[in-house]
Amino acid sequence: MGRIIEEIYVWRLPVRFYHWVNAICTVMLLLTGMYIAAPVINPPLGEAVWYNGMSWWRYLHFAAAFIFIANFLFRMYWALFGDDKYARFGGFQPWSPSWWGKPFREQVESYLFLRRDEPNYVGHNPVAALAHFIFIFCGSTFMILSGLAMYGENNPGGFSESLFGWMIPLFGGSYALHFAHHLLAWIFPIYLIMHLYAVFRHDVVDRTSVTSSIVTGYKHKVEEEPS
Amino acid sequence: MHNNQTFADIFRASGISRRDFLKFCSLTSVYLGLSPSMVPKMVQAMETKPRTPVIWLHGLECTCCSESFIRSSHPTIEDIIFNMISLDYDDVLSAAAGHQLEDVRRKIMQEYKGKYILAVEGNASTKDDGVYCMVGGDSFLNTLKETAADAAAIIAWGACASYGCVQNADPNPTGAAPISEIIKNKPIVNVPGCPPISEVMTGVVAHFHTFGTLPELDRMGRPKAFYNTRIHDKCYRRAFYDAGMFVRSFDDEATRKGWCLYKMGCKGPTTYNACSKIQWNGGVSFPIGSGHPCIGCSEPNFWDKGPFYERLAEVSFLGTDSNADRIGVIAVGAAAAGAAAHAAVTAVKKAKAGNDSEEKA
Repeated sequence: MGRIIEEIYVWRLPVRFYHWVNAICTVMLLLTGMYIAAPVINPPLGEAVWYNGMSWWRYLHFAAAFIFIANFLFRMYWALFGDDKYARFGGFQPWSPSWWGKPFREQVESYLFLRRDEPNYVGHNPVAALAHFIFIFCGSTFMILSGLAMYGENNPGGFSESLFGWMIPLFGGSYALHFAHHLLAWIFPIYLIMHLYAVFRHDVVDRTSVTSSIVTGYKHKVEEEPS
Repeated sequence: MHNNQTFADIFRASGISRRDFLKFCSLTSVYLGLSPSMVPKMVQAMETKPRTPVIWLHGLECTCCSESFIRSSHPTIEDIIFNMISLDYDDVLSAAAGHQLEDVRRKIMQEYKGKYILAVEGNASTKDDGVYCMVGGDSFLNTLKETAADAAAIIAWGACASYGCVQNADPNPTGAAPISEIIKNKPIVNVPGCPPISEVMTGVVAHFHTFGTLPELDRMGRPKAFYNTRIHDKCYRRAFYDAGMFVRSFDDEATRKGWCLYKMGCKGPTTYNACSKIQWNGGVSFPIGSGHPCIGCSEPNFWDKGPFYERLAEVSFLGTDSNADRIGVIAVGAAAAGAAAHAAVTAVKKAKAGNDSEEKA
């Protein structure tokens, strides 16, 4: 292995904090959400007052959801106002044709094995930025809005229902919204697989210690191995 | 016709005591979710206002709304059609038929221009100029537009008139469309359900008569008094839901114990209706009370959200064997397979690059 020639502090503490809270919440939300949709554990015979099988899962889902929302808003604040060039929205400009230009094309070609060299970025590469926008930003936004609309259903006229209840007629009824929430929850395990694979692969191919960077914050540039 | 008679006049004429009249007013205000202070207002309205003329049209429908309506127990059907509303036209209940009856409709439309309520049961076919529903020699689409033009307000009875129901379920061969898609310039009250609860139907009429305005509506045009909450939130089996005690098949021990029907596909958690509050047939029971999961008949497109006995709807355009979870599992599997294939190509490429550099050296 080559010698470490440079250490770059990429992921500042707020970003790492967001990442791990988000990771834990997403997994929690997926597991509890799938359980709520298909509860499998039946309590032994007895009176309903002795058990809270379903309400406990729902409680965990809502608790994780509110932490997820707070964490998401915190990350949005950091992306808009944080003094952090690797975590800001500034560089991500999908509305501009130039953003889709050479860097994006080269990265796609690299992933498709159409190039020999691997472009290297200190922060996110353009394809990763796009994936995060679609899966994490759009996905989370939809799950939060639809989730809050459904959360408000048992208290008509309340906070959640008043602010987010418009989602229900928009999707053509409560069932349709539940269905969309359930179906789109599946993008998160898909993202998780692609994310873990891409990180491990970049670590093996580029040797930039991208995997450990989300714990330590540091990425490394490594001297080419003399052959 | 004595259309200028007030409710109180009619009650008196039919031998109903003032005590019973006040009871009726109190009961109606309870059904409307009004506070006790509104009872005097209702009494005054019943005593001073003439009966509201109602034209009741039938389009593409099964008459289950009328069937429900005639089973109303508070008040009974006789009270409603003889004493409460002036049901001037109803092609199902009228003794007259043909031109004789159609003339009555036109006469009422002229006499009470802008004052009558148009109650529509069923919806209209819009395909091929509406030929799939012909009433009295004209398409129902035309009749509906003509009668709606001078109405004070429209009540859309049932899931058909409110959302379309089975007529506009996929693939909707007759182009059936709910009233709100055909009539745009009139206030419309949606009273969904297949059929709606009879007391809900009479409650809506009484509200209009009492206050001269439509009841407060929610985002989907339904009276808040009856459609504000979900079946699930007022269900007497809710305790079993929260406890996680579920019926798993229709002949198991849990069925006999009356546990929650969630796993049997109960749509109570996504259905807004008053069944678990008012119940049916004078409070005798309601579907869940009789051991059957709610099918969500008062929700839009409930026929296309099936099967009735499963929680997760089928995704029709992908075939009847697919639902959200099957799609999800396949997509996750595809992502994993894609990652594995990409890893394999990366490994091969790396090994090849390694060989190349060795050869060079």
